[in-house]
Amino acid sequence: MSLLEVKNLRIEYPSRHGVHAAVKSLSFSIERGEIVGVVGESGAGKSTVGNAIIDLLSPPGVIASGEVFLEGQKISGLTPQEMRSVRGSKIGFIFQDPMTSLNPLFTIEQQMTETILANLNVSKKEAVSRSLSLMEQVGIPEPELRIKQYPHQFSGGMRQRVVIAIALSCEPDLIIADEPTTALDVSIQDQILTLIRDLCIKKNVGCMLVTHDMGVVSNVTDKIAVMYRGDLVEFGPTKQVLSDPDHDYTRSLISAVPRSDIKLDRFPLVSYIEEAVEMKQIDIKNHWLGQSEDQREFTGPLLSVDDVSLRFVTKDSFFESKREYVQASNKVSFEINEGETFGLVGESGSGKSTIARIIAGLYAPNEGKITFEGIDLTALKSEKERRPIRRQMQMVFQNPYTSMNPRMKVYDIISEPIRFHKLASSETEIRQIVHDLLDHVGLGRMAGVKYPHEFSGGQRQRISIARALATRPRLLICDEPTSALDVSVQAQILNLLKDLQDELNLTMLFISHDLPVIRQISDRVGVMQKGKLLEVAPTEELFTNPQHEYSKHLVSLMPEFKGLRDKLAS
Amino acid sequence: MFTFLIKRLFQALVVMFVISLVAFSIQDNLGDPLRELVGQSVSEDERQALRDELGLNDPYMTKYSRFLVNALQGDLGTSYFFKRPAAEVIFDKLQATLELVFGAAVIIVFVSIPLGVYSAIHPKSAITKLIMAVSSIGISVPVFLTAIMLMYIFSIELNWLPSYGRGETVNVMGWETGFLTMDGFLHLILPSISLASIMLPLFIRLVRSEMLEALSSEYVKFAKAKGLSLNKIYYVHALKNTMLPVITVGGVQIGTMIAYTILTETVFQWPGTGFLFLEAINRVDTPLITAYVIFVGLIFVVTNTIVDLLYGFVNPTVNITGKG
Amino acid sequence: MKTLKTKLAIALMAAGLSFSAAAADITVAYDADPVSLDPHEQLSGGTLQMSHMLFDPLVRFTKDFDFEGRIAEKWERVNDTTFRFHLRKGVKFHSGNQLTADDVVWTFNRLQSSVDFKNVFSPYEKMTKVDDYTVEIVSSEPYPLVLQTATYIFPMDKKFYTGKTDGKDKSEIVKHGSSYASTHVSGTGPFTVASREQGVKVVFERFNDYWDKKSPGNVDKLTLVPIKEDATRVAALLSGDVDMIHPVAPNDQKRVKNAKNVDLVTVSGTRIITFQMNQNSNPALKDVRVRQAIVHAINNDAIVKKIMKGFGTTAGQQGPAGYSGYDADLVPRYDLKKAKQLMKDAGYEKGFKLSMMAPNNRYVNDAKIAQATASMLSKIGIKVDLKTMPKAQYWPEFDLCAADMMMIGWHSDTEDSANFSEFLTMTRDEETGRGAYNCGQYSNAEVDKLVNSANAETDTAKRGVMLQRVENILYEEAAFVPLHWQDLAWGAKSNLQIDPIVNALNFPYFGDLVVK
Repeated sequence: MSLLEVKNLRIEYPSRHGVHAAVKSLSFSIERGEIVGVVGESGAGKSTVGNAIIDLLSPPGVIASGEVFLEGQKISGLTPQEMRSVRGSKIGFIFQDPMTSLNPLFTIEQQMTETILANLNVSKKEAVSRSLSLMEQVGIPEPELRIKQYPHQFSGGMRQRVVIAIALSCEPDLIIADEPTTALDVSIQDQILTLIRDLCIKKNVGCMLVTHDMGVVSNVTDKIAVMYRGDLVEFGPTKQVLSDPDHDYTRSLISAVPRSDIKLDRFPLVSYIEEAVEMKQIDIKNHWLGQSEDQREFTGPLLSVDDVSLRFVTKDSFFESKREYVQASNKVSFEINEGETFGLVGESGSGKSTIARIIAGLYAPNEGKITFEGIDLTALKSEKERRPIRRQMQMVFQNPYTSMNPRMKVYDIISEPIRFHKLASSETEIRQIVHDLLDHVGLGRMAGVKYPHEFSGGQRQRISIARALATRPRLLICDEPTSALDVSVQAQILNLLKDLQDELNLTMLFISHDLPVIRQISDRVGVMQKGKLLEVAPTEELFTNPQHEYSKHLVSLMPEFKGLRDKLAS
Repeated sequence: MFTFLIKRLFQALVVMFVISLVAFSIQDNLGDPLRELVGQSVSEDERQALRDELGLNDPYMTKYSRFLVNALQGDLGTSYFFKRPAAEVIFDKLQATLELVFGAAVIIVFVSIPLGVYSAIHPKSAITKLIMAVSSIGISVPVFLTAIMLMYIFSIELNWLPSYGRGETVNVMGWETGFLTMDGFLHLILPSISLASIMLPLFIRLVRSEMLEALSSEYVKFAKAKGLSLNKIYYVHALKNTMLPVITVGGVQIGTMIAYTILTETVFQWPGTGFLFLEAINRVDTPLITAYVIFVGLIFVVTNTIVDLLYGFVNPTVNITGKG
Repeated sequence: MKTLKTKLAIALMAAGLSFSAAAADITVAYDADPVSLDPHEQLSGGTLQMSHMLFDPLVRFTKDFDFEGRIAEKWERVNDTTFRFHLRKGVKFHSGNQLTADDVVWTFNRLQSSVDFKNVFSPYEKMTKVDDYTVEIVSSEPYPLVLQTATYIFPMDKKFYTGKTDGKDKSEIVKHGSSYASTHVSGTGPFTVASREQGVKVVFERFNDYWDKKSPGNVDKLTLVPIKEDATRVAALLSGDVDMIHPVAPNDQKRVKNAKNVDLVTVSGTRIITFQMNQNSNPALKDVRVRQAIVHAINNDAIVKKIMKGFGTTAGQQGPAGYSGYDADLVPRYDLKKAKQLMKDAGYEKGFKLSMMAPNNRYVNDAKIAQATASMLSKIGIKVDLKTMPKAQYWPEFDLCAADMMMIGWHSDTEDSANFSEFLTMTRDEETGRGAYNCGQYSNAEVDKLVNSANAETDTAKRGVMLQRVENILYEEAAFVPLHWQDLAWGAKSNLQIDPIVNALNFPYFGDLVVK
């Protein structure tokens, strides 16, 4: 008898437009002490399964058919009261974002003890001591002190530890972890995964690990269930699935993961999902996009950053001496040559995005200067002087949706900068340019009449790239442009960026926390930590022979995917 | 904390200065105070003499600087009608207004929170639909009408509650209160309900939407996953988060209700500051009008500050010291 | 059955409800409360109402404008300029002091120094004491309205108001700011002030040593509360929270009339509501035919019936019936056909434009009346540009005579029709103050002369003829547009016999009020 047995599970979302089956007919099982990874891309239905098991489907989702057994007892179709006794005490749940899964207004102690008191028949005092010991088990230092604190006083990784401690607090038989490390930095991610794995083995509980990250799966799971559009396409031991996948989709998915071992020219596409959209070729030489009037005779580095520092006030005080600051950027210097892609890596809070914003003119540095094509940007006084420079530098953000006006049509979003910088002479010309841009980024001109919310994440990123291109920039600053995207889509976007760069001789500053991505796209890489630029080296040199201790540490954390690849390649 | 208060104080001073300027500027457009001070047969010469005596004929700047100098010493002028310092008159009447606002606030809290929470938890129930329908009608019914209707039903037809005034009051340490006598308490009911009716629909909607947002949050889902009972999730986890914005918006609104009492007080002949203000306008009692406008401005500033402090107190993530 | 009745009676007695005529405790709601306890501070209805409760005048008006002695027992004219009053003996002030001629003379002198009252007493040279209980009032010219002005003399307690307090004279009259007299009172009236909270209530208590032992009044305690809002005041009466109210708005009168155990008492009033037609600002109004056309175009009846709900008496002249000079033949003359003919005769067949202003919170239904008037004028081709505004804004406009037609209501302080002419229709004269409210800029030497002679004519009959002539001239020349006299209305519980104590002057004699 398995710990968890899911049989022919079908989950439906009825709506006015008919019934959508998020999960079609799913069967799998989990044993005690075993970690089963459920992988798949957005929309595959993997999170829905986890929610369905503990009856927390968001409305109007319902289990249409099928059964779920926990230790042989049927737990699907229970009354809300009965289900409540399963949650917490038999099944622990870990959500993706530790920032939002803890109630900001209650102390850790309150949130932990209430769980224990709700599920176990123990005294208040016992609940507290149990909480303390749990905190110690999940590796939170000084538990007596920390337990009295509020969630906002914890870092992301620490919060996820708290969430895990809560999930384990009532000694469940099964843990469902829904993307538990996606919102965390690489180094933290590794610690949390190790923690989950160790605890599962130690406490002999089963674990269902829902994730989109192939690296994560390969590192910690015993078995893998691959889901694709509501169907389970493959289920088996991890090694076997990864090294010898049966299904085309699995194979395709594995190949799309950016390689951390060697640099490839282009990213392999997940051909199974959708036909890769190729850009429509245009004759750049004769096209508006290629006819920038910006002079290109300058020989020095296109962009140079000299000793740039910026600090933010963290504790304000009436008296200067009492104010406290965080050094977001500490004497950072580097140069980017024309046509080069410069990668910046670092964990959250390392200051990499701050640098991007300083270059783009969104923040003014306290010290240092930014030179673009020999012009000192920090010396420019008026908005009028800055405007032509700003046009030549464009940003692509991580979440394109928040940077677009939801009430504007895509056509207007893209044409706005052309009008603003007066780059076209007539309305007819503008229309031609916008249509070409939309074609070129693989959306098609018909996309212009729609609104941003009608597009998927990857498509929106294409829109924001088209918008960035609309000013005929020379420098593209990409701040985590693919972090929010599925691997298959990520590959497409990265390929698009590469192609555009080759074609238009674009210079790129590429910021990411994802080392494999950085390795694939950059010519040179800078490593940042706590506002400081620790090391700058050509990409391959950095990955094969990192100099700084921290760089070494980072590189060592890269998920290994090597073995299976070789096999796939052959 | 210190910085916060200093900044706030400075902001408040600027705001108060602007308000005083505005309050003083409108004086000349309110009419001729003399008209209400003297009988119809008094000659123009006598009127001019009186105007000179009152300083009404001085140039604007002279009047304003005189006003400002006096105001800084705490003297906001003397009411023509009450023949007493305007500030003193307002503070006397403030007791009645504060009791009315307090009564209304109690009603708002005890009605809007349960109804708002209920309608958020049971969004599809018939009761919720009724609550929402009534509250949207409520928004569009003028307070004057509500008051007259209440008076008609409860005073004239049923004869349960008194129709006007404050009734019997007791002096407790210099404060005339109507809460401690049965008569005073009964007098408070209708005015409080009609004053509350202005804000009630707004508060119900506010509580409801905040509660809905809290209920759709991840921590509520996590709390469910933790195996907590629904009651605990609704009334402990979600409600506390609901109350945060309600305190901010609500605090300011309840503070400003002091300024909204004008109509309610007039209808019920409630001897408070709102009624006082309307009467002052009718009587062209300019010193009193100016003092009242400044007083209301002060209330806005003070309530905003208190609410900010309170918000920081309730929400552990806001650090007044750090963010100012 | 019998025992039940007995029980009920005992219960009612226990509850303090007594059916005997003694010791009544009532609450009266007015639209405003007195500004000050000083009877000389402001000449207003509120002050006079209060004066009749706390003080007694030398003489007072009866319901039909006759005179009734109060502090003065008897009076006689000595000669053209001298008038003698014999004072009642044994009259006590609230302070316990006895009233003598000294108090009356002192009061008269104080009145002459009051900004508001000095105008009423300007015809007099002085008042002299003949003996302790006799005074003589001497006018500079022969003056016919001595008794009328005597209704304003409410003897004050000289001893009580003499001396200093906080370095200030107790007798001082302060218009702005507080004075001793504005918060302390000692009169001879039927009531004393037990407590006073301005704008909230004044509690009056029966004065035990009141001189008028014959008065049937049995009100022991009277609480006067101001209730500003018409609807609230009526609600307070209907719910039983108050025993008597005034005013009752026209719209509420039917409700009060129909309510059980509540009575409505109305009295035809003396305040005339008029429009003045400015001959200086609009040349068309200079033409008497145009003015007559306007007067003929306005349907006074319709205004009183439809807008005032019958709460008014249509007017064709200034003074109401009962005033000397009243001419019963001068009635409203609504005749649209004639009005059109007059317009044609004057050469304004196609009409003309004029501006009109009226207050919207001063007189009963003032703005509605103005709107109705404007639409009536449009029927004879006069296009009216009407502006209505709160009184606070209206009076400054009126001072400038800012529109071609302006509304004004007037109550004669002397209850005599000459007063109307003095302020509204005599030629404007800065020096004498005549025509101070004459925004029609009407000027007729004969009217001026007649009014001046009437004011020096002590023979009532002769004087009446002169004033009647004045009303006739104004009528023929259409000097102004008379609309109506506002009625006065009170609502009271049926056990209050208010009919005998209310009057057109709006000073109910509460001292004589009988509560069953």
